[in-house]
Amino acid sequence: MKDLQLSLNQTQKVRLQRALEKLESLASKANSNASVTVADSIPVNYEDGLLKGHGTSEVNGEVVATVCGVVERVNKLVYVRSLRARYKPEVGDIIVGRVIEVAPKRWRVEINYSHDAVLMLSSMNLPDGIQRRRTALDELNMRSIFEENDVICAEVRGFQHDGLHLQARSQKYGKLGRGQLLTVPSYLVKRRKQHFHHLENYGIDLILGCNGFIWVGEHVEVTDDMLVDHKSEQHDTKADKSSISPEDQEKNYTPQQTRENICRTANAIRALSTLGFSITVEVIMETVDLSSSINVAIHEMLGAEFCVLVAEKEAVRRSMTKKK
Amino acid sequence: MLQNKSFVKRTRGGKITKVVREHYLRHDIYCGAPVCKVCDTSGARLSPTASTILIFDTNVVLHQIDLIENPAIEDVVVLSIVLEEVKNRNLSVYNRVRALCSNSLRKFFVFSNEHHKDTYVTDMSGESKNDRNDRAIRVAAQWYQTHLAGSAKVLLITNDKENKRKAIEEGISAETVESYVRSLSKPELLDLLVQPASEDVKMEDAEDLRPSKRKVIYSEHKPMSEITSGLHRGIYHQGKLRVNRYNPFEAYVGSESIGDEIIIYGRTNMNRAFDGDIVAVELLPQDQWHEEKSLALADEEDEEEDVHLVPGSADDAPRTIAAQGSAGITEPVQNRPSGRVVGIIKRNWHSYCGSLEPMAKPAGGGGIAHALFVSKDRRIPKIRIQTRQLENLMDKRIIVAVDSWDRLSRYPSGHYVRTIGVIGDKDTETEVVLIENDINTRPFSSQVLACLPPLPWFVSSEDLANPIRQDLRQLRVFSVDPPGCKDIDDALHCTALPNGNYEVGVHIADVTNFVHSGTPLDDEASQRGTSVYLVERRIDMLPKPLTEDICSLRADVERLAFSVIWEMTAEAEIISARYTKSVIKSCAALSYIEAQARMDDSRLMDPLTTDLRNMNSLAKIMRARRIERGALTLASAEVKFEIDTETHDPLDMGMYQIREANQMVEEFMLAANVSVAEKILKHFPLCSLLRRHPSPTREMLEPLLRTAAAIGLNLDVSSSKALADSLDSAVGDDPYFNKLIRILATRCMTQAVYFCSGDLSPPEYLHYGLAASLYTHFTSPIRRYADVITHRLLAASLGIYKLPTIFQDGPRLTSIADNLNYRHRNAQMASRASVELHTVIFFKKRPTDTEARIVRIRSNGFFVFVPKYGIEGPVYLTPRGEKGSGEWYVDEQQQKIRKMDGSISYSVLQTVFIHMEIVEPQPNRPKLQLSLV
Amino acid sequence: MEYVSPEGLRLDGRRPMEMRQIRGEIGVVDKADGSAVFEMGNTKVIAAVYGPREVQNRSQQMNDRALVRCEYTMANFSTGDRMRKPKGDRRSTEISLVIRQTMEACIMTHLMPRTQIDIFVQVLQADGGTRSACINAATLALSDAGIPMRDLVTSCSAGYLNSTPLLDLNYVEDSAGGADVTLGIMPKLDKVTLLQMDAKLPLDIFENVMQLAIEGCKAVATYIREVLLENTKQLEYRRGT
Repeated sequence: MKDLQLSLNQTQKVRLQRALEKLESLASKANSNASVTVADSIPVNYEDGLLKGHGTSEVNGEVVATVCGVVERVNKLVYVRSLRARYKPEVGDIIVGRVIEVAPKRWRVEINYSHDAVLMLSSMNLPDGIQRRRTALDELNMRSIFEENDVICAEVRGFQHDGLHLQARSQKYGKLGRGQLLTVPSYLVKRRKQHFHHLENYGIDLILGCNGFIWVGEHVEVTDDMLVDHKSEQHDTKADKSSISPEDQEKNYTPQQTRENICRTANAIRALSTLGFSITVEVIMETVDLSSSINVAIHEMLGAEFCVLVAEKEAVRRSMTKKK
Repeated sequence: MLQNKSFVKRTRGGKITKVVREHYLRHDIYCGAPVCKVCDTSGARLSPTASTILIFDTNVVLHQIDLIENPAIEDVVVLSIVLEEVKNRNLSVYNRVRALCSNSLRKFFVFSNEHHKDTYVTDMSGESKNDRNDRAIRVAAQWYQTHLAGSAKVLLITNDKENKRKAIEEGISAETVESYVRSLSKPELLDLLVQPASEDVKMEDAEDLRPSKRKVIYSEHKPMSEITSGLHRGIYHQGKLRVNRYNPFEAYVGSESIGDEIIIYGRTNMNRAFDGDIVAVELLPQDQWHEEKSLALADEEDEEEDVHLVPGSADDAPRTIAAQGSAGITEPVQNRPSGRVVGIIKRNWHSYCGSLEPMAKPAGGGGIAHALFVSKDRRIPKIRIQTRQLENLMDKRIIVAVDSWDRLSRYPSGHYVRTIGVIGDKDTETEVVLIENDINTRPFSSQVLACLPPLPWFVSSEDLANPIRQDLRQLRVFSVDPPGCKDIDDALHCTALPNGNYEVGVHIADVTNFVHSGTPLDDEASQRGTSVYLVERRIDMLPKPLTEDICSLRADVERLAFSVIWEMTAEAEIISARYTKSVIKSCAALSYIEAQARMDDSRLMDPLTTDLRNMNSLAKIMRARRIERGALTLASAEVKFEIDTETHDPLDMGMYQIREANQMVEEFMLAANVSVAEKILKHFPLCSLLRRHPSPTREMLEPLLRTAAAIGLNLDVSSSKALADSLDSAVGDDPYFNKLIRILATRCMTQAVYFCSGDLSPPEYLHYGLAASLYTHFTSPIRRYADVITHRLLAASLGIYKLPTIFQDGPRLTSIADNLNYRHRNAQMASRASVELHTVIFFKKRPTDTEARIVRIRSNGFFVFVPKYGIEGPVYLTPRGEKGSGEWYVDEQQQKIRKMDGSISYSVLQTVFIHMEIVEPQPNRPKLQLSLV
Repeated sequence: MEYVSPEGLRLDGRRPMEMRQIRGEIGVVDKADGSAVFEMGNTKVIAAVYGPREVQNRSQQMNDRALVRCEYTMANFSTGDRMRKPKGDRRSTEISLVIRQTMEACIMTHLMPRTQIDIFVQVLQADGGTRSACINAATLALSDAGIPMRDLVTSCSAGYLNSTPLLDLNYVEDSAGGADVTLGIMPKLDKVTLLQMDAKLPLDIFENVMQLAIEGCKAVATYIREVLLENTKQLEYRRGT
């Protein structure tokens, strides 16, 4: 088992243990036997016909798991859903990634997949919002859109001959700034309808990338992007000048309250990730609420005590949902 | 359960490192008492009726091992911590305790207290290692007490007052050794007790009642740390002390650091070191280096030279010049470094055979008497012991162990171990000989006997059907051995082939068919190494059924053999050789005399005699060719006794006669050995067991050359061939002269030794005496273990069997070879001692006058060699005690001793007439005295 | 030297057929895709797996399978005497190669073309049997990283001292100079992926020793399986539905 890298005192240990046991008992019994490890054979009924999916192989007429995970059966398909593994992209997934290379007509983006993803310049809405052929000039100005190490948000477009392609054909995608990037195991983020969340009472944006990259940042109004673009153009022209206008300072300034909210949310996610709880906006919000309700300082959220509280809270929460 | 042991250790490089070792504690360690209801009793060793279970502490085991070995001590639990400590302190005691524990007749059980979950104790801070171990012992004793509560009493035996007090406080019954032994009410056991050091003073008084004479006799041993640093800085030299067998006041320490031997004169310089001790020696200033002392016949004290057998080789002979390495630097004699012992690094104390020195009246009252013990081995100083049975022991041969030697006493102190028997009694003295030479005479254990095939044994049909075994029963095979030989391990055949060549076969008993590697039988044989032949008795290497029946190639029965078969031309050129396992049926077991008689009797024309004659002529050619190559025909003065069948007393004594038949058999055996050596070395260049005979160095031949020069003989010793030739040409006017020279030459040679071919380079494989570049022993597997090994090697080289694993273990093989050399040598020494013993018995009733030859000249007499009886001994010209009173004058150059007035002179090799008589200067100490007629 | 007492106990109190205590722990390096610590007695090894990921050196990229790389290091503090060894000495290179080849045999590399998998193993404490511990740790780490494998690879050593086959030699026994067989097997497929021996052994004894090592590997496999299964269950129930 993965021991938490926390220094717990004796009572905390007992409490955590109890909470985890409760979680275990709450987990659906049906699935408890479905866990397999590498080289475990998976019982199957051959008469129904069989389709071997991911994480399985056949040895001496037996279906055998090749990864650790949970056996899932969908009609004839039998596959092993692996847990701790790299992200496996599916078309339409919303992901957060980091630009690692600017290449001709494309950016290479690290998204916790076994290969780097490709974002073509052509799959990208230009800042001016106009749909047109990309000119050589656009190509030269690629760095003005995304540079190396920029964090971006995009959508999985699909597999092409040269790898995984992304697209960012909407105003909600693009470069992310003024926030934190968190990386959690991708199995903790579930695919849902909504991955963009605007937490209004905190004034922050939360993007739960399917690849386990989570963005927590200051809320940005998507609508006035024309203005932003205009400003940024202005910014570019002014970049040569040494001084930054007060207006820009105003623009780059994030209020302390927001910054604290960002950190609090980020730490809530960190705590959940350490405990290995699945990460949804509801749980995050509850955890954030919990932390503010008991007045836990932001930095203490990474401590043992808060962790135990979160575990206990999660146990209560799940038992509630179960009852319902 | 897991415990981590961690301790700090100093590495060889002098760095301090922390060592962490795992230490597992177990639930499955049982108490070893068959009455126990909780434990698994399948491995129980204690007796079911044991009322008291003894637990000894380390010091008791270390010091009282002789007592513990006594069968009166039973039901002992040996704790593993005690064993471990004993092992670190004294390996020989450890081995003895281990032997006790594995002896099925004794009730000793090893309890692994260090790995038992309840008896393991963790180190406490500030506690010394000893205290911790003592505590561990007490904890184990307590565990036993509660574990066996009711069924047996547990008694902790310790001599440590503190330990005893603590034990009693903790509710463990504890006693000292002495009080325990007293409670057994067996007074003879008390003699076995080692006296604690505190009583030393009392003993001192007993030996010498005048306190004024109590003085420090020996200088103090340096502390170990000083010795180590001294060795490091090259001030001291480390080496094994070897006391001169013929002069106990002279010892040698072979030191690697100065590449020479350091001579140590006198007991004071030897500083309480025993023969075989590893000592640290400090060199004396050069001006104190002794010149070679004028060699007197008698020593400073009243120890004297005895009559003894003629030494068989340089190893046995008194050494005047140290055998040097092949470097061959001839140092002038007076420049040899001498030194003194400053510390003893490792003691070589064990128990010694001997008798008590006669005393005017028993000293000491109250039954306890102090006596001096004189070892049979003259290299060992007298040992003080105390005994309660002095009267009883005076005329006995006893065994005594050494306990300590402090600076104040001239002699070491020890304790009585056991009695062998009455002095002078043949059986007693024979046993002494066997013990002295470390010869195992115990009957074979049941495990060993279990390895034997069921009796009666016959060649089975499987043996015949075995494809590796050739059926040679149709051949006319015969054996030629000494009369009465029962362990016949070689047989021969010789068939004339149609092409005029001969097929000659040497068939050796197939011992390895019965002695398999790794079995208890094999281990035992490997330990014994060789059979030992005494005058009236034979101590077998293999159990009797194998020795005398199953392996012995007796006449008219089918036997398994390992054969070497050559095709030879009539000129004895070997055309081809093959080796095979076989089945033979010997048609005749001849004695040498019979064989000789058959060959000599020209009327006999039967096929067997023809074979004999053919073989003999081949052998003669081979022999001639061997001598041509430079093989030495050395002579030894073997004697033969005629033994009374009833009393086993010797009736007659004479030189062993060597006949042509002997030489014939010998020749073929040599050829077989050489053939096999070549074969196995070809297949196993690294792990073959061979036999080599190093070339003697010039220094070793010095005595021979000096003697030869004195009588005007010029010997060429540049090579074995040259030596052989000059020996051949050394024909004097009397018929015995040549043999005498050969005997002297033999004496200068070292013995041939076994070695593992991987340890030396091929040029060193040389067998000097046989002038063979390769040699091994193959032909007597019944009585020599080396041959067993060779058989296995040969079988493996033929692909018949796999080579046992042991051959891959180089160091192990070397240690086997060393053991064989040791056993072989001891067996020879024992044989010689047995002959000497019988010589004394023989002359007891027969004072004899006979002819003798002078072999060495000394300042007050000379040594003579008596050819008829093969003995050598001193003849004194001046009465004992008066040292070379000037009446006699020794001419070193000419090897002559002259009376001052010139009236009489004796020179070396001169014939003299002597009188031989047994005298008893002291009661029960008979010795053979030679005097001029 | 006596490595097995007549009572049948080894120097550390084990019997000849017994292994040291083993312990495995998953998920010890946060950044890595998979990681594990494996202990065999006082031998402690940490392993981290990165990948499958983009091949760093394009020239090494293989279009039909993944590139597996392995780096073995020994911490300076892992032995009693603190020796500063140069990186990439012969021994490390050799063990790196051994581990790489052993693991490559079980990873289904063809499923991850044009990627690279890095395995880093470091010996934290050395007390004999480091090779085996490294392989076991690597197996755990690879499983943790969710890399598809044909089978687990487990390893155990066995030796031959005092004419007795001994399982799982510790440092003292290892340096006794006897034969030392390191075996790696795929327990489910019943195949050997690693077999190393220094010194010589006759064939019949070797078979015994190897049989013992196989038993040891199977015992390790059972334990590793337990650890993995427990870990998987934990992850699954903690994640919730």
